[in-house]
Amino acid sequence: MFGVKEALNSTYVMWYRQVKRFIRARSRLVGSIAQPLVWMIFFGVGFASSFRLQGYQKIFGGVDYLSFLIPGVVVMAVFFTSFTAGISVIWDKEFGFLKEVLVAPTSRTLLIFGRALGDSTVAAIQGFIVLALAYLLVPNLSMMGIPLLILTVFLVALSFTSLGIVLASKIRSMEGFQLLMTFIAMPILFLSGAFFPVKTMPEWMKILAFLDPLTYGVDVARVALTGVGFFPLTLSFIVLLGLTVAFTVFATCVFRKVGIE
Amino acid sequence: MSVVEINGLTKKFGDVLAVNNISFKVEKGEIFGFLGPNGAGKTTTLNILVTLLKPTKGTAKVAGYDVVKSPSKVREKIGVVFQDITLDRELTGKENLWIHGKVYKMDSVRLKKRMEELLAFTELEKWADVQVKKYSGGMMRRLEIARALVHNPEILFLDEPTLGLDPQTRVHVWDYIKKLREEKEVTVFLTTHYMDEAEKLCDRVAIIDNGKIISIGKPEDLTHLVGLEVVYVKIENNLKPENLLQISANGKFADDIKIMDDKTIRFSVKNASETIPKIFENFQRIGVKILEVKYHKPTLEDVFLHLTGKSLREEEATPLDQIRTYHMRRR
Repeated sequence: MFGVKEALNSTYVMWYRQVKRFIRARSRLVGSIAQPLVWMIFFGVGFASSFRLQGYQKIFGGVDYLSFLIPGVVVMAVFFTSFTAGISVIWDKEFGFLKEVLVAPTSRTLLIFGRALGDSTVAAIQGFIVLALAYLLVPNLSMMGIPLLILTVFLVALSFTSLGIVLASKIRSMEGFQLLMTFIAMPILFLSGAFFPVKTMPEWMKILAFLDPLTYGVDVARVALTGVGFFPLTLSFIVLLGLTVAFTVFATCVFRKVGIE
Repeated sequence: MSVVEINGLTKKFGDVLAVNNISFKVEKGEIFGFLGPNGAGKTTTLNILVTLLKPTKGTAKVAGYDVVKSPSKVREKIGVVFQDITLDRELTGKENLWIHGKVYKMDSVRLKKRMEELLAFTELEKWADVQVKKYSGGMMRRLEIARALVHNPEILFLDEPTLGLDPQTRVHVWDYIKKLREEKEVTVFLTTHYMDEAEKLCDRVAIIDNGKIISIGKPEDLTHLVGLEVVYVKIENNLKPENLLQISANGKFADDIKIMDDKTIRFSVKNASETIPKIFENFQRIGVKILEVKYHKPTLEDVFLHLTGKSLREEEATPLDQIRTYHMRRR
């Protein structure tokens, strides 16, 4: 159908733009990979050596700390990239390229969906690079889980790009952006079980962890790479999938009504 | 035929009346200028016309379509160049145009031809495959104009098209806008706070201040509001009230006399070179010492001064401006 082809075209060009930008800006790529690497090597290796004794492995579900941490760091890399990308929609819509397409006679839903897909693709690629480097550090991670991990990484990327877009439509200032990073992004990360297990958290924190959308992404990623998870795999995967769909729909709805200041 | 028709347009942000009951028309083929200081309501009006903001009251039609009822129809007919550069700086000139064309659902063959034509029009062919971040300010503006034309709009909206450009580049951009009207038969609606831009570029100008249109017409007709020539006289001591009476009593030589501040008086006259000696004579008689005399043909600056009693204001930075500054630094 003619209409469908045209519609997909606008989604495609928005995706294309994000991917092309990513390929062009190599310095940004280096920066976004360096951070998780620093976590893995200095934080991960350091902590792993203090949890070296046999008994400690029980805390982490029977694996050593570094293996436990790596899925968390991969998801963290994806989370930060996609969440900031989603929020950066605000600059792009007020002063950037996105403002220009807001006056185009094209469905905004499809445009922002393309944008979210593009940002997710970029975030996912960064996640894969971090993962590839992680295999050098911990060669005994499961190779079998890679297809599941790829899917997980992409879902995490899409859901947090979308969440970023939703939150971006609510903030109006630089201070708002910084508050968002401190009071939303950091708790999401720490409560997700990326660095320490949900199992041993105090009860009140566990409740927050259950409410944290990132928890399910971390859990599926950990099952994929180490076989160890807190929730049953089907449960966490369904929650992750559901959240992704919900956030994406929410983001496109919010964006459709967006005006400018 | 009018391509823009505004009737009783009003826009409020909370309690602030940004646009206050304005009405005017823009005819097909015109270069129409919307002139006023920062914060006068120019950009707000433009944003309503390009369907990004909804008016609080009143109607606006663009290319025959209501901007609130049929925004998609309006969007098909317009090209927009915003005040901030909205190009993707990581991408090349060509890529920017290509994405635009695809967003506007153009087929690849037509788009390719149109891109070549517009890159030639804006003399950017050699830069087509260079990343936009390596362009100069003037080149970015030209690329933006090219991009706004890709989908063959009937009306081009330009928000402060030469803001931040050096004088030479500004004149260059004006040439493109004029050429555009001649070669592409596009109606141009632009906002500006540069008086000379409105004067040299526009067929008609609407002067807006505090959300209200205070005058509208051809630049030369507007300047005639002030007089054919204006003489500014600066005096040594503050003017006393009785001096003013004396000057006006003898002031048959001037069409209009206005006190600008305590030490400056403006005379609107028909012929400055004949009048200046008379002014001297007069002032000498009443014992007021003249320090300085200037005269020139009135500009829109004088018109603005004449109508509002003030020149351009500086606005305070809004939270949004802070983000803008931060954002500009980042890239």
